[in-house]
Amino acid sequence: MQKDFAQLNYYEMLDIKPDATALEIRGAYNSALQMYQSDSLVSYSFFSQKERKEILAHLEKSYSTLINEKEREIYDNELIRLGVIQATEKKAAVKGPVSIFDINRQKDTFGMMKANNAELKAKISRNQRIREIISQQEIRGADLKEIRSELGVAIETIHQQTKIRLDYLNWIEDDKIEKLPAAVFIKGFIKSYLKCLCIEPADEITTRYMNYPGRKN
Amino acid sequence: MAHIWPIGGGKGGSGKSFLASSLGRLLAKAGKKTLLIDLDLGAANLHTMVDVPYPEKCFSDFITKKINLLEDTVLTTPFPNLSLISGAHDSLDIANLPYEKKIKTLKAISKLQYEYIVLDLGAGTAFNTLDFFLASRNGIFITTPEPTSIENVYRLMRSIYLRRIRHYFSVTDFKALEKKVKQHLGDDSFNKPEHIVAVIKKEYPEKYALIKKDFNSFSFKLILNQLRKQDNVDLGLQICKIIKKHLGISVDFAGNIAYDEHVHDAICQRVCFLDRYPHTRAANDLRELNKKIGDSFGEQLMLNYL
Repeated sequence: MQKDFAQLNYYEMLDIKPDATALEIRGAYNSALQMYQSDSLVSYSFFSQKERKEILAHLEKSYSTLINEKEREIYDNELIRLGVIQATEKKAAVKGPVSIFDINRQKDTFGMMKANNAELKAKISRNQRIREIISQQEIRGADLKEIRSELGVAIETIHQQTKIRLDYLNWIEDDKIEKLPAAVFIKGFIKSYLKCLCIEPADEITTRYMNYPGRKN
Repeated sequence: MAHIWPIGGGKGGSGKSFLASSLGRLLAKAGKKTLLIDLDLGAANLHTMVDVPYPEKCFSDFITKKINLLEDTVLTTPFPNLSLISGAHDSLDIANLPYEKKIKTLKAISKLQYEYIVLDLGAGTAFNTLDFFLASRNGIFITTPEPTSIENVYRLMRSIYLRRIRHYFSVTDFKALEKKVKQHLGDDSFNKPEHIVAVIKKEYPEKYALIKKDFNSFSFKLILNQLRKQDNVDLGLQICKIIKKHLGISVDFAGNIAYDEHVHDAICQRVCFLDRYPHTRAANDLRELNKKIGDSFGEQLMLNYL
């Protein structure tokens, strides 16, 4: 009913697809050995000694052929010529490691921001209003918001970059001091907010923000 | 028509009767009208497993015509919905059931009015066992993870395979086939049904098509019993893989049953294991198996004995 084992092609012998990677081939060979080896419980008494020897020889041949890239290519071409497998089956995309996290997205925004830093600095130096705000003795949330909107940076971008919660950012900008966490955290938030927008000197402005009288009450 | 589940395994002690009684018990508990038939002719002991120590009637009453109808040999068990045809006080020569009596039995079984009929078969590969196993296409093989047991289950599978092929040939045709197989492949190849099929393919293509279709309609199951912690849990799957690849029969691996000392205790106490030790691993495995098997056997497929 089934094809004789010897008539199977190497891929069928090892139960793998024609586009299997070297790792898959090795795994398949190992599990086949587990099944066919003479001390295996699975195939105990199923084959005569001669049959088992033949099968093991076939398995070894298929493994050594497929694991060797050059020999595998020759063998594949032969199979394609005979019409056993399709060339398209073979041409499957090279399997590389698949990333679990979406690293690309992170990288993009990061790279984009770096490129943007110079642009932001240029904008800041050109913008009269921003320079005015920076030179104020008192800096509030509303001022920060104004700087941000002058620079045209979305609040979500800041949230993504600084990892500060979006609601905290909103409360900072709206001066809802009663909702915000302790001052020590706010200090850090403001600093990273400013760094994110390339406002300098960040430390000094942060101090001014922390010290303005409205905040202290 | 009833769902018939024959349970076979090559070697004694692999848990055929235990599985039969447990499955019967679970089916009955689920409200299905279930009948257990002890067809381990000459070595019957299913009645002990379902707590009927002194059966008044038995299967051989039907064979010796003391009771005319098979349904009249049915005994009630202490469990609701569960009935039994016992083989307890069978005549001592019952194991050598003549052919026409066997056919009569198979016909009578197929007419029984139950939702589920579980056949507990004997060890070994006697024709009686094979034919009872082939009474339904939903046969269940059971084996333990030991070489002796696995060897015998392979033998049983091959014997069943050959027996089924044999049904397609008349005596003379089969002799001729035998000769051809020996010609093609040498003397020792006749024990391997896969070789015979290869010859049939060449010599009788129309019969080959029939046989192939026939075997595709079977849905055999394999259960691995008494799996200890150190055993390979994938053994069953690998066995099914090797059978599919080399014999061409597809057998579904239904699951493992954990080895459990409590089974021995329950049998010695002559109580139902599932009632006595319902929270053991083996009991869980059994419940899961029952569910899985019940789901996967769709319609009942009966062979043509009618």
